[in-house]
Amino acid sequence: MTPPSTVFQRRILIGAVICVAAFSLVCVRLIDVTLLNAGSNVPRRAAPVQLSRGDLLDRGGEIIARDLPADDLYARPQMLADKRRAAHELAVATGADEQRLAHTFAGKSKSVLVARQVSQTARDKVNLLKLPGLEYLPNSKRYYPDGRSFAQVIGVTDLDGKGVSGLELGLEKRIRGIHEPITTSLDTRVQFILAHEAQLAMDEFHSKAAGGLVMDVRTGEILGLVSLPDFDPNDRTYAGTDSGRNIMVQDVYELGSVFKIFTFAMAIENHNVRLDEYLPIGNGYKIGRYTIHEAEHMPATLAARDVLALSSNIGTAQIALRSGPDRQRAFLTKMGLLGPIASELPERAHPLFPSHWGIIETATIGFGHGVSVSPLSFAAAAAAVVNGGRRITPTFLRHPEDGRGEQIISPQTSATMRELLRYVVTNGTGKKADVPGYDVGGKTGSAEKSAGRHGYQAHKLVTSFCATFPIANPRYLVFVILDEPHGTKATGGFALAGYTAAPLAGHVIARIAPLLGVPIDPITAAKENS
Amino acid sequence: MIRVVSTFCVGLMGLSILSLYHISEQTRVTRQDLANTEKSVAAERVQISILEAQWQKVAGPDTIQKLAESSLGMNDTATVQLSSLTQLPRRGDEPLNGEQVNTASAQVPVPPVPGVVKAAVRSGM
Repeated sequence: MTPPSTVFQRRILIGAVICVAAFSLVCVRLIDVTLLNAGSNVPRRAAPVQLSRGDLLDRGGEIIARDLPADDLYARPQMLADKRRAAHELAVATGADEQRLAHTFAGKSKSVLVARQVSQTARDKVNLLKLPGLEYLPNSKRYYPDGRSFAQVIGVTDLDGKGVSGLELGLEKRIRGIHEPITTSLDTRVQFILAHEAQLAMDEFHSKAAGGLVMDVRTGEILGLVSLPDFDPNDRTYAGTDSGRNIMVQDVYELGSVFKIFTFAMAIENHNVRLDEYLPIGNGYKIGRYTIHEAEHMPATLAARDVLALSSNIGTAQIALRSGPDRQRAFLTKMGLLGPIASELPERAHPLFPSHWGIIETATIGFGHGVSVSPLSFAAAAAAVVNGGRRITPTFLRHPEDGRGEQIISPQTSATMRELLRYVVTNGTGKKADVPGYDVGGKTGSAEKSAGRHGYQAHKLVTSFCATFPIANPRYLVFVILDEPHGTKATGGFALAGYTAAPLAGHVIARIAPLLGVPIDPITAAKENS
Repeated sequence: MIRVVSTFCVGLMGLSILSLYHISEQTRVTRQDLANTEKSVAAERVQISILEAQWQKVAGPDTIQKLAESSLGMNDTATVQLSSLTQLPRRGDEPLNGEQVNTASAQVPVPPVPGVVKAAVRSGM
C-alpha cells in the first residue's frame, strides 16, 4: 500500500498539471498555426504609391498627367560646418537661390527649405555632396508626358498639387486624393495631329492665334482641343509668346459666315426658304441707313443653296429677315448660343449679343456679325444641327454612350443641312477642306474683327471652318479657327477662310479619319480623284 | 511517478521555450524581410510609375513622327489606301459596282516635305 501523498507532493502535482495543460494549449496552437493553417496566410500587398492626385488618361488609356515623386529638400543649418559653401553647392545642385540659402542658413531657423519638388537628377547631385543635416519630405510633381500638346485643355497644378486651370481644376474634386485614374474623352493622337496642323497653319499664315477641336457629334465627347499659342506645362513658366489662355473656351468671337449654318437651319425649319429659289443679290442691300455688302463679287441672283455655298451676305440677310428678330433670337437661344456652355473645363466665356435685337441686327447676325460666341459653344450648336437635330453637351470625360438630348430641330432639317454643307465643300467656298473618300461637309467663316465704336477692321480677320464627316451619317465635327491670318503667295494674297481655315480642317480630317476608323468611301474617292 | 512527471513537464517546458524562442526569432526575421520587401515593392512601384510616364513621352506621337521622318524617311501619308473589309468585292463579284478595283485608292496630293526628302537621300532611299 502506497503512503498517502503529502501536501507538497499534491501541490507539485497540481502545478505540473497546470503546466502540462498550458503548454498543451501552446502546442495545439503551434500545430494549428504552423501545420493546419499554414496555407491560409495570404501575403499582404505592398502599400500603393502615395500620391496626391490620380492619373489623367486619354480615351485609349495613355497617360496624360501623372504625379511623380519629387520630394522637398530641407536642411538643418546647425549641422552644416561651412554654411556658405553648403549654400553654394546646394544652389548649384538644385537650382535654388544661393543668396536666399546663405541668408537662411545664417539665421536661427532649425530647418530650412532648400528646394521643392527636387527631381531625381538633382537628388543624385545632392547625394554626391555628402552634406550632413539634409532631409527629404515626401512630395510629388505633376508630369505631363505630352508636354505642350495638351497644355491648354489639361491645365496645370500649383506647387501644392492643386489644379489651377483646365481639367486639372475642373476635375479637382474627382482627381484629388484618389488612386483610380480618370479616363478623359481626349485622344492623344487626335490632339497631337490637331496641335501639329494648327501650328503649321499658324506659322504659314502668320496668325496671332490658332485653335481647333474635334468632337463626336453623337456622344458629345471632345477628342481634341487645341489653343495656340500654348505653354510648357512641365515648366509652368511662359516664355516668349507663350500664353495660358484657351481661346477655344475663354474667348468669344464674331465668327462671320460660319454662323450662316444656323440662319439656314432656322429658315429650313420654319419653311421660310426653298433651296432652289433664286434671291436677288446685286451690289449692296440697304436696310434703313445701313448697306450690306458682299466680301467678294457675286452674281446678280443666286439660288438659295448657292447663297450658302458662295457665302453671300446679302442673300443670307434676306433669308434671316424672313424669320424676323424674335424667332431668330429664340432659335439661337434654343441652340444654346446665347448662354455660357457647360463643360468640365472651368474656363467659361459669356456670349455677347445686342440688347436691342432689331431688323438690322437680325440681318447682320444672320451672316455672323453682332453675336460673339466661344468656339466650343459654336461647335456644340453646330453638332446639334448635323447629328439629327438633337441637343448635345460637350464633355471631356469618356462617355461612349449616345449623349444626344432633346430634339431641337427636326431630323429632316438636319438631313437637309448635311446635304447643304456637303454642297458648300463640293461647289462652294469649302473646296479646300475636301478629303476624297471621307465625304466632308462644312462651312467657311471669315469675319472682320471689331474695332469697337469704329466699326470693323477690313484687314484683320478671324477665319474659321466647321467641318463634319462622313456627311451621310456624321460622327465627327472639326472646328478650326485662325486669328488674324495673312495671305501668302500660295493663296494669292487672300486670307479668307477658304484659303486658310478650310485647308487646315482638310489636313486634320485627312490624318485623323483613318485613325478613328472612319470607313473610306471608295466610290466617292474614285470619283473625286478621276 | 511524481519525479517522472515533473521531469517530463520540465523537459516539455524547456522544449517549448526553445521552440517558442526559435519561432519568435523566425517571425522577427520574417517581419523584417517583409518590411524590406514592402519597401522594395513600393520603390519598384515608384520606378514603374516613372518609367510608364517616361515611356509615354518617348512613345508619344510627337517623338514617333520625328523618328519616322528622320530615320525612316516617312511622312504623312500622301495616298490614302484604306478601305473597310465590307467594301471589298467578294470573289466573282463585279468590283465596286463596275468600277475598277484600283480606283479604290484615294490619291490625296500632299506637297513633299523638304526635311523628309533630305533624310531619304541621306539614308540612301
